[in-house]
Amino acid sequence: MAENNGEEKLLAVARHIAKTLGHNTNMADDILQIFSNFDGRFSKENLADKVADGDPRACAALDHSLKSLDRRISQFVSSDRPIWADSADAVAFLDAVDELVAAVAEWSQLSTDKAFGACLARAEDMLQHAMFRLEDEFRSLMERAGESFDLTPPYRNGVESVENIPFDSEEEENELETAVNDGAEEDQIPVALPVTDYDIVIDALPAGTINDLHEIARRMVAGGLQKLSIEEVHKMPWQDLEDEIERWIKASNVSLKILFPSERRLCDRVFFGFSAAADLSFMEVCRGSTIQLLNFADAVAIGSRSPERLFRILDVFETLRDLIPEFEALFSDQYSVSLRNEAITIWKRLGEAIRGIFMELENLIRRDPAKVGVPGGGLHPITRYVMNYLRAACRSRQTLEQVFEDYGHPLKDYPKLDDRVAPNSSLSVQMDWIMELLESNLEAKSKIYNDPALCYVFLMNNGRYIVQKAKDSELGTLLGDDWIRKHTAKVRQYHVQYQRSSWNKVLGILKLDGSSNGSLGPNGAAKSMKEKLKMFNTQFENLCRVQSSWFVFDEQLREEIRIALEKILLPAYGSFIGRFHTELGKNADKYVKYGVEDIEVKLNDLFQGSSGSTGSRK
Amino acid sequence: MSAMMDDQGSSVMFIRGNQVHSMDGSSLELELETFQRQVTLRFLELAAVGNDDLLSLAWMRKLLDIFILCQDELRMIFFNHRAQVMKPPMDRIVSDFFERCVKALDLCNAVRDGIEQIKQCQRLLEIVLCALDQKRIIGEGQCRRAKKALADLANCMFDDKESSAYMALRNRSFGRNTTIKDLYQIHNQNSNYQHRSVGHFRSLSWSVSRNWSAAKQLQAIGNSLCPPKSNDLVATNGLAMPVYTMSSVLLFVMWALVAAIPCQDRRLQLHILIPRQFPWSAPLLSLHERIMEDSKKKERKNACGLLREIQQIEKCARVINELVDTLQFPLAEEKGEEVRQRVQDLSHVLEALKDGLDPLERQVREVFHVIVRGRVGT
Repeated sequence: MAENNGEEKLLAVARHIAKTLGHNTNMADDILQIFSNFDGRFSKENLADKVADGDPRACAALDHSLKSLDRRISQFVSSDRPIWADSADAVAFLDAVDELVAAVAEWSQLSTDKAFGACLARAEDMLQHAMFRLEDEFRSLMERAGESFDLTPPYRNGVESVENIPFDSEEEENELETAVNDGAEEDQIPVALPVTDYDIVIDALPAGTINDLHEIARRMVAGGLQKLSIEEVHKMPWQDLEDEIERWIKASNVSLKILFPSERRLCDRVFFGFSAAADLSFMEVCRGSTIQLLNFADAVAIGSRSPERLFRILDVFETLRDLIPEFEALFSDQYSVSLRNEAITIWKRLGEAIRGIFMELENLIRRDPAKVGVPGGGLHPITRYVMNYLRAACRSRQTLEQVFEDYGHPLKDYPKLDDRVAPNSSLSVQMDWIMELLESNLEAKSKIYNDPALCYVFLMNNGRYIVQKAKDSELGTLLGDDWIRKHTAKVRQYHVQYQRSSWNKVLGILKLDGSSNGSLGPNGAAKSMKEKLKMFNTQFENLCRVQSSWFVFDEQLREEIRIALEKILLPAYGSFIGRFHTELGKNADKYVKYGVEDIEVKLNDLFQGSSGSTGSRK
Repeated sequence: MSAMMDDQGSSVMFIRGNQVHSMDGSSLELELETFQRQVTLRFLELAAVGNDDLLSLAWMRKLLDIFILCQDELRMIFFNHRAQVMKPPMDRIVSDFFERCVKALDLCNAVRDGIEQIKQCQRLLEIVLCALDQKRIIGEGQCRRAKKALADLANCMFDDKESSAYMALRNRSFGRNTTIKDLYQIHNQNSNYQHRSVGHFRSLSWSVSRNWSAAKQLQAIGNSLCPPKSNDLVATNGLAMPVYTMSSVLLFVMWALVAAIPCQDRRLQLHILIPRQFPWSAPLLSLHERIMEDSKKKERKNACGLLREIQQIEKCARVINELVDTLQFPLAEEKGEEVRQRVQDLSHVLEALKDGLDPLERQVREVFHVIVRGRVGT
């Protein structure tokens, strides 16, 4: 019989542990109880409908209860004294927080009425303050608890804060072990340990503190998260979803690193010797919260693959990845192993989502239409967008490598890359491919321009930008030195082609063929030179006029172009003018409009984009 | 373009650029015909089942198997005719279909919670089994334990909306149609069992918010679902038809799941519209009718789920509870024998649960994965 009672007690305790987690959801019932005290018509069903109609009385009732919650919570939040110094205060504060959490959860679902929305905003604000205070209390509790205990290295692997406890002999080690085991009554060596991360030695903390921390952590998690369905997550505006992801990251870390391990400890202690009961109890308690956390991550993974979401989804991926060891440690028994497997599956799905985002980016690039050319052949917005995007993405290079490595792209899908040296990784293949797509797209865009020279200027500008942005970033490392060299050469090619296509004609005019003098006769030579000069002046002026409105964003590139032009134009012009003087003698000055220096000056005005956009370098 | 992933998540095929298969008309026709025929045959087989097996764990697994097969086949059809799938009006039709599928994902999650709730019941029954184990001498203590577990079981199997109504009941005669909930009533009056804890099993398990409703989700899935218009059929070369078929299959499967498994706000009286004119209509209609009939039966009216095994649990628990109430100690020989018999029945029910629940849970999860996989990048 005694054996039966013992087992009954154990079961009762298990239920109690389970009940405490359910405690939160019942708070909503209490809130409604308060309402019905004001006016019997304010039951849950009625309230839902009335608020949707914008009933001022419903809002007034909520406002009233919000004010009372405000009073209860503010007195603690604004107090300088630690709340947990007094257990009655702690309980009162936690109760108020519970009510507030339930209220916010309840009201969020109810309506979009404006006045109501204002109430809700105040409530959420209040909740945020309460959460901050909880975090502070949590931290100081751990610090105070750590101060009164000597944390024994054997219980912990590699916690940095314990370094200053030396133990030279096994004897000492055993003594310390005993001290911790026997609890607070033993003599402690007071050591102030700055506990800054979540790795706490739960065993070594006094039981009361564990409970307090547990209670706080539970509210921190509950205050954070809403129970969202997949549909709701998909319908959320991106900004709201970003905020929710922030909260999820905090909640996941607190749950997996503090809350669940402490639950595990409690279960193991209570059911010492009955490991199956401990496993079961633990699973019952933690299942709901874990599934809620995982469902959210899943919803994010299944949702939109818009490229703007990359960075947040990377955050979720990394958080989950870093928590997998915790999952493996906590959820390895027969009852909870499915949770661990779920976590891994969802983590992989997040990886798929990230790959999907890059595919979406590819589509975006491919589909970007070549409509109106950028005035002055300047930098196209898509170049800027893609390069900055990739630079930012590559800051998470390690994670991305991981994402792409597991599901590498088969090389045969990239026919243009067959002849290159085998790439370093699947990620570099992906980056390479995106660059290919961008370049094809830009080439198509360049054909919009009627003037072939402008076409090359466009390609130069964008090509230069691409190389600059790639060079001093992880992106460049991924693409490789060869790639950078190749593309730098490409820009040079465009330069050469630009020069040829617009300036060759003009240069041709200035060409002096030594043997023509005789065939034209003395006047003929002078006449032909006068005509040539006239032609040159017209064409030169034309070129300068048109090309001053073109734009080269990069100072250095502009200089290079100018200098290259000078190098070939000035000497040719100089020689021509020299011959001109020879032919026309004293009358020459009448016809010569520009000196060599004047040509130089005019060349300076090129590519200023004077009538076009004056876009910045970035 | 996007990749379609296979089971391991690796890409079955990457399509870049505008490479596309062009299949001739006759092969498409064949594929469509085959698809319709397969759906019809599979559901005919499913419908040819006795009333005892309808909505049993084994039957549910067959149902989900069918869904997974059909969904994968549809996905193949989409893949083979990618060019068409992306052109209007097919693109709109497909995206509507995926919208419905996303709603089904939430139902899969809710059903998973429901299966967990049934597992709770299973564990409580195990306690009863343990308490009344024939290897021991059964005394008052064990009986009390068994009764307590049975009371918890009643609590566990409550329908959300019904609980408050039952709480209000005070005087109810102990008759033949007494259900577990009635027993809970009695127990509640006799013990100090806290009102608060009524919610505790549910609140632990539900991963959905209080306002989420399975019935509403089903309604949304079936919303404006109607056979494709003839001009749509022509414009899509008939591809609109398998999409409609699969949408109907999706609706039916989700409806059956919600009927069988405890879910928040089930409201089974919600009618789903099944068209009459297609070859697969007949088996679906027949199943629908039979399940509706089942739900209207008096003893099933307030069940938390229509799963056959839940009915067995209820019956078994009721019988044992009645029996335990009549026990006098020390136990007479025939009484002991009766207890042994009932306990054996109970262990059979438990075996069925143990064998069937985990695989069902895995399959529901597989349905989830299949739906996600089927979404060609939007």
